[in-house]
Amino acid sequence: MSEAYFPVGPGLGLEENFLSLDDILMSQEKLPGRAESALPRLALALGKGGGGAESVPEGSKLEIPLWLAKGLHDSKRRIISVEPPKIYKEAWRTVFSADANVVDLHKMGPYYYGFGSQLLNFDNPENPEIAQTVSNCVYHLQTFISRFRRIMDSSQNAYNEDTSALVARLDELERALFQVGQKGLNDFQCWEKGQASQITASSLVQNYGKRKFAEVDG
Amino acid sequence: MEPAEVEFLAEKELVTIVPNFSLDRIHLIGGDLGPFNPGLPVEVPVWLAINLKQRQKCRLIPPEWMDVGKLEEIRDQERKEDTFTPMPSPYYMELTKLLLNYASDNIPRADEIRTLVKDTWDTRMAKLRLSADSFVRQQEAHAKLDNLTLMEINTTGTFLTQALDHMYKLRTNLQPGESAHSQDF
Repeated sequence: MSEAYFPVGPGLGLEENFLSLDDILMSQEKLPGRAESALPRLALALGKGGGGAESVPEGSKLEIPLWLAKGLHDSKRRIISVEPPKIYKEAWRTVFSADANVVDLHKMGPYYYGFGSQLLNFDNPENPEIAQTVSNCVYHLQTFISRFRRIMDSSQNAYNEDTSALVARLDELERALFQVGQKGLNDFQCWEKGQASQITASSLVQNYGKRKFAEVDG
Repeated sequence: MEPAEVEFLAEKELVTIVPNFSLDRIHLIGGDLGPFNPGLPVEVPVWLAINLKQRQKCRLIPPEWMDVGKLEEIRDQERKEDTFTPMPSPYYMELTKLLLNYASDNIPRADEIRTLVKDTWDTRMAKLRLSADSFVRQQEAHAKLDNLTLMEINTTGTFLTQALDHMYKLRTNLQPGESAHSQDF
């Protein structure tokens, strides 16, 4: 039934796709930040303990989900300031530029590219650490480029194999790409073996039959 | 697009058959075929040739290029060159598969032909991966692939276009003003 299902894909830009489930999951990843002004009655919500009436004092460290940070961040009204997570910082970028293939992006991500692109939203000339994110983007592109060959080769050569080890270290975006490569290979091999010319029952019909059976059962 | 759909297009190619029945000229939407006379060669689309062959109404004459000597030459040429060489037919893979599956008794040295075509295919696919990699590395925006056949394009096409799409988005992120504008809807 996969041909008749059109999920909204991730946006992978400055703006997420509103209805993309991947983007919604991505935007709830936490981001380190700091309160630039006191936030009254929010201690409980921001995980700072205390009762409902306690406020978050100015300058306290926070872990804020990306969607909330995006809403609160404003270059004029300084409510919070945001820092990029450490995998987007200089130290990790050196690792990426040495050999991007050795990095486990699933553990680091799993939405490494999408999240990194979103960090551009916090671009603020007053904050030199955030200004780095622009150069960060060059690194995303470089990371993607140097990992491309491996994704392509492993997706196009692994026929009828267990691919879980191959995709374990891939970011969600790369996993989707890997699946597409696998599908191309598998379809071609099926055709070559003559399986494509056999007519089989539509998956809709098969599922319908199952459901009926379940109804009889219950 | 699925390989079966590519095969559907390949079935429009013409092959020569020798029928063993008589039939007047038939008028089909895509053109007239025939007349069919026993023992006289006539050109028909592959889909009809296979159907007649399965009903044992004809003998199939393999295309000129489906010959061990010529295919060896093509394979060696393909290995020598860095770019893709022209193929004898835009549907060489599909025709080989169809004709060898349904009419291998009419094609001399069918097994060798199958191996040679498969070798050529593997060489070309390896080449395609190599050039895709250097294309991505140099961050090119366009490429010219004249002699690739539809089946080859179709096997890696979705993968390649999707990867390039991601790359384009990651690259345009660098010009925030521009890309923010294009996303404004």
